[in-house]
Amino acid sequence: MTMGFVAAAIAMLVATIPAGIVLCRGDTGSAVVAYEFISTVVVLVLALLAQAFQRSSLFELPVLLALLMFGSGLVYIRAMERWL
Amino acid sequence: MIIKDIFSDILLGLAVLIVIGCAIGILMMPDAYAKLHFVTPAALIAPLLVALAIMVQMGVYENTGQSFLALFFLAIAGPYLSHATMRAIRVREKGDWRPGRAPAKRPAEEKEQ
Repeated sequence: MTMGFVAAAIAMLVATIPAGIVLCRGDTGSAVVAYEFISTVVVLVLALLAQAFQRSSLFELPVLLALLMFGSGLVYIRAMERWL
Repeated sequence: MIIKDIFSDILLGLAVLIVIGCAIGILMMPDAYAKLHFVTPAALIAPLLVALAIMVQMGVYENTGQSFLALFFLAIAGPYLSHATMRAIRVREKGDWRPGRAPAKRPAEEKEQ
């Protein structure tokens, strides 16, 4: 296990707290922006943890999440524009 | 500690600094337009630094390829999502994203009439 990667993953998870506050307390536009930020950071955290634990199979999670983030983000944005 | 660990830790430290700075920026900025500027560094520069750190640690390996693939998807999605988010926020505020246009009716409003 590489401690640098674990420490970076923990620090990035801590960095999602301010965005989580915006997600919970901000207006709808700010909440969507915070959601995009958090999903980006989670992609990074998954990649860092996969590298830290030296598991090649776990690298599929950040790749899939990065791909799905695009589609889900567009769905949220479209819903915000038309219905929310 | 060997030299590649030091380089890798430096790159990871930079990535963490960027992400924390962006998180503080998202918390402090007054509106969604300003907050949106802080998503891009976290979606482009930080993943690049993380992918480089993995490459320094592992060399050209399967993990490196998959981390660069994730970086590629993030780099493709980031500008589209930023543009679409800004457009949606403007439509919510002004009714239409183009200046001087009448507000378009939402489907819920059309159903009521």
